[in-house]
Amino acid sequence: MSGLPFLFTNPALLAALVALPAIWWLLRMTPPRPQAEVFPPLRILARVLKREETPSKSPWWLTLLRMLMAALVILAISDPVMNPRLNTLATGGPLVLVVDNGWASAEDWERRVETAAGLIADAASRDLPVSIAFTADRDHNAAPTSADEADRRLAAARPQPLATDHPATVAAIRAALGDTRPGTVAFVSDGIEGAGDPVMADLAALGPADLRLIGADAARPVALSAASNDANGLAVTATRLVTTGPESLGVTAYDARGRAIGEGQFDFAPGESVARATVTAPFELRNDFARLGLTGLANAGATYLLDDGFRRRRVALLSGEARDMAQPLLSPLYYINRALAPYADLVAPEEPDLAKAVPALLEQKPSVLIMADIGRLPEEVYGPLQSWIDNGGTLIRFAGPRLAAAPAEDPLVPVILRQGERALGGALSWAEPQPLADYPANSPFAGMPRPADILVKRQVLAQPTADLAERTWASLADGTPLVTTRVEGQGRIVLFHVSAEATWSNLPISGSFVEMLRRTVQLARGGGVAASGAEAARTLPPYRLLNADGVLTGETGGARPLEIAAGVTPKATSDNPPGLYGSEDGFSALNLMERDAVLQPLALTGLPTAYQTAPLAGAETWSLKPALLTAAMLLLILDGLVVLFMGGAFARLRASARPAARAATILAVAVLGTGLVVAPGIGHADDSKPGDDAILQHLDTTHLAYVVTGEAEVDRISQRGLEGLTQFLTYRTTLEPGAPVGVDISKDELSFYPIIYWPVSASAPMPSAQSVSRIDAYMRAGGTVLFDTRDQISALGSASGDSPNTQRLQAILANLDIPPLEPVPTDHVLTKSFYLLTSFPGRYSGSPLWIESQLDRQDGAADRPARSADGVSPIMITGNDMAGAWAIDDAGNPLLPTVPADENQREYAYRSGVNIMMYMLTGNYKADQVHIPALLERLGQ
Amino acid sequence: MASIGQIVERTSSGEVLARAQIRARLIPDCLVEARRVANTVIAGWHGRRKRGIGENFWQFRPYSVGESLSRIDWRRSARDDHTYVRDREWEAAHTIWLWADLSPSMMFKSTLGTVSKESRALVLMLALAEILARSGERIGCPGVMEPVSARNAAERLAAALTHRPPNAGLPDTGMIRGASDLVLIGDFLDPSDAIMTRLTPLSRRGMRGHVVEIADPAEEVFPYAGRTEFTDPETGEKLTAGRAEIVAEDYRRAYLGRREALGASLRHLGWSFTPHRTDHLASEALVAVHMYLSGAPGRANHGGQL
Repeated sequence: MSGLPFLFTNPALLAALVALPAIWWLLRMTPPRPQAEVFPPLRILARVLKREETPSKSPWWLTLLRMLMAALVILAISDPVMNPRLNTLATGGPLVLVVDNGWASAEDWERRVETAAGLIADAASRDLPVSIAFTADRDHNAAPTSADEADRRLAAARPQPLATDHPATVAAIRAALGDTRPGTVAFVSDGIEGAGDPVMADLAALGPADLRLIGADAARPVALSAASNDANGLAVTATRLVTTGPESLGVTAYDARGRAIGEGQFDFAPGESVARATVTAPFELRNDFARLGLTGLANAGATYLLDDGFRRRRVALLSGEARDMAQPLLSPLYYINRALAPYADLVAPEEPDLAKAVPALLEQKPSVLIMADIGRLPEEVYGPLQSWIDNGGTLIRFAGPRLAAAPAEDPLVPVILRQGERALGGALSWAEPQPLADYPANSPFAGMPRPADILVKRQVLAQPTADLAERTWASLADGTPLVTTRVEGQGRIVLFHVSAEATWSNLPISGSFVEMLRRTVQLARGGGVAASGAEAARTLPPYRLLNADGVLTGETGGARPLEIAAGVTPKATSDNPPGLYGSEDGFSALNLMERDAVLQPLALTGLPTAYQTAPLAGAETWSLKPALLTAAMLLLILDGLVVLFMGGAFARLRASARPAARAATILAVAVLGTGLVVAPGIGHADDSKPGDDAILQHLDTTHLAYVVTGEAEVDRISQRGLEGLTQFLTYRTTLEPGAPVGVDISKDELSFYPIIYWPVSASAPMPSAQSVSRIDAYMRAGGTVLFDTRDQISALGSASGDSPNTQRLQAILANLDIPPLEPVPTDHVLTKSFYLLTSFPGRYSGSPLWIESQLDRQDGAADRPARSADGVSPIMITGNDMAGAWAIDDAGNPLLPTVPADENQREYAYRSGVNIMMYMLTGNYKADQVHIPALLERLGQ
Repeated sequence: MASIGQIVERTSSGEVLARAQIRARLIPDCLVEARRVANTVIAGWHGRRKRGIGENFWQFRPYSVGESLSRIDWRRSARDDHTYVRDREWEAAHTIWLWADLSPSMMFKSTLGTVSKESRALVLMLALAEILARSGERIGCPGVMEPVSARNAAERLAAALTHRPPNAGLPDTGMIRGASDLVLIGDFLDPSDAIMTRLTPLSRRGMRGHVVEIADPAEEVFPYAGRTEFTDPETGEKLTAGRAEIVAEDYRRAYLGRREALGASLRHLGWSFTPHRTDHLASEALVAVHMYLSGAPGRANHGGQL
């Protein structure tokens, strides 16, 4: 392409430029001729007119403007053309035409074809054979043919939604040419080089007389390379070929029907070839994303297909205990939360009552329900939960003290569990804490490296069965299963045999925990084909395929089924073009770009022969005519405005605009005024509700509370007993509780009271299941119930062992999810929370006080004055009839005698009540207090 | 765009005369009020409402000793014992000088006016001549016609104008004697100071003047816009306004200010001033001048204010 890159199509018309001086003269003469008027009172006019200076000729710049306009029109008519095309083919051998028809060429395919057709026409005029090859085609037929044949093949070629295959193309050309040295080798390129693919060097190695690289910088291809569904939005990665300068590109998310429902923005920094964007949308909307497309680019690379695997799951979380968030590290949900938050949307119940929380959670249609350490569910919950699992839900359970204590016939565990847990390590155990074994091949965790640093100190054990091995996803080094599973209907139950916090093992604080949970959650999908993670390989038929323009079509003509082998990421080839594989019910997306691929420009250095670069055909020869005419038209408009202005056309406009401005001001003032008048009318809504007064009264002071059993005598003793304890507390401690409150557990709000005293009476009506569920929720939310069977003395005489009150207590507790119990150990904080006590007597002194068992007993620390324990026992059981010992009449005299009649015992009964109250209100504070001497010593005091 | 104003041909006297007579027919006779007794012996046609030389009976009065006996009216005296003298009404003519400015600027006629200023001025002058001649007043035109008292004074004035068109500018008034009335019709576009310099001596000589200012509507409302080149018809001077509409307001103020100043100065002399536009009826000006000439009792008291 030598010579002037600028040519006039009609150079003869340039002669009209000679006329410019004449136009100049005419413009100087003619412009605004005044209206001649005879005017007798000229002298009067002259007095007022002196101020204005009126030029008799048009100003020089106006003349210049018009001259420029005339010159532009003349130049435009003579039709200048940039870069005219010339025939410069080398005549030594055949023309080798290599045309990139990969995805990046789809945008300007017409121009590429035009360029190639121009070269073929040149070859035809010089009578050269043409060898034409398309790099993205399935087969590369590069045999030299006539120009006509090459033209036909060029017209039939289409851009493919695939990457180009340069090595195969070059090999085909070399085979087709044999010994012939090509004349001109023209490479119509999209500028992208595959990995390890020095195509220019290969072409130069053919030994052409003339090597041309055409259009390598015509396109600026940008491709989407990855997308992942994060907590806040869909994170998308894009890569571009040309890295110079900053670039901003929009990305749009489309749903299955092609509607745009989300947008993001890529900002490429200068020199960077990769950028990331986030498509922010609500979780429900994000699950509707079917396809991502770069705004304004219609090719296969700028389109990213999403399949079911990208959908975020909704995960519901349930926990057996509700630790306050002041101690998050002790809460099992904390670790699950942290592990799953980036991959799933988590929902938590709004109320602690499981009977209501579970249906409320299922109402939100979660894919996964995670239950951490829940031993027993309310009876009525099992049905809905079971049907939810049957319909495809995934239940993930974690072990814990409650589960370990739960009865064995729980239907919602995948294997039969032995009651209790197995502790590994410690003073009384031979076994060492166990690491994990390699993951079995049928497990979804297969492929993950075996974590060497995980030690399991405590676990629940499965009963050995025949199919235990195939239900095991992970096991310890000694073969005991750690993660077991069972398929239930379309759903699945998964059990982690350790707790979800770090007390039983250090699994929850390891990276494997995150990956295991993620994979497990990933399995939970709505009945798709990929639901079974255990199959080794499967074959998916093509369902919808992407064409070169980035559009999904149903044409699956040449495509073959996609073979998915475990651990192998499928690649888009001409056999498996990018698209969706599978069926309407479930499909996998095969994308053009491999995950996090980066576009590489052609390597142009170190070539054996020189080469020329040329732009594409359509781009180079462009006419300056439209630009010139536009400029002339703009000047004409400008000239018209100037003439109008000089003629005084805008003076009247200004005069008439004034009333409008005044009207607008009046309107604005009126609107503002109205706003000021209206604004004070907006008040605060009255949000008070009936019963607020009573609630506030209960919140002001702490009240002791007892359960109204319905038996007058029992309730009277309870009321008087708590009154006596209240007075004792007021005298002896800084705690001054209000009057005791009797609560009806079936309907009263329980959360105001730190402890509820429940005198169990066999003759009273049995509380309803709903009431028991409320008690369960109260205990779960941090409250404590003190059950008093008052049967210590009667139990002594009964032959069967259990008094009616105790049997009633067992009936009540049967529906409660209670932890394992133990009598108060001597080092428990209850013995030290106010008075130093060794026993907790009431009217009777024989019965122990049962509280929640502390599983993580530190056997090696026996010399400690108190056990460190977290939280407060949600349940206390005694048979000593404490209220009976506390009960006083109005004069302050005891109502009932102690057995034996010993006022010392009554004093200790009061002290027990004080200790229990202090334990309720301060928790393990006293246990920490015992460390004060050591702490002060460390501080050097 | 056709120009708004133009210079038209001089109107022929005959045509003007005809129009003047039509106008004059609508106006009643005008007896010029004589504030001072003119020492003229020329008999007029209309009585002066006072005793004097005349032909018509005025009053009988008792004879006083020393009067000529020939004046005794014996027929009356025979009725009783007294002798009476018959007085006659003084019947004398007043001299009115009419003058119209026929300078080139008066030839101006715009599309807004119906006739040129010159045409209107001549019509007014000849109509006045007709009316006053009907009343027996003596009509003159300085530099054109000596005062005559004739029934056909208007025709004679028209003929005189045909032969001797008046010069531009205010007339030479050397031949005017005594208390006479002067009616000046013109456009008075000169500076009012210059005009007053000419008129003040006339006032001192006892003349009573009536000034009729003829204006074309275009001169008053200034309907020009855009780039306009103005030419003075008298001096040929040119003036170009780039955007004529922006000076319109100022011009109107200056034009009316000049008129106000002129009117005030004239009224100060005791003269009357009547502005008149050519798009109005000639009769309006005619009636106004008629009232001033005949003393217009109601108006004279107010200095001729309309």
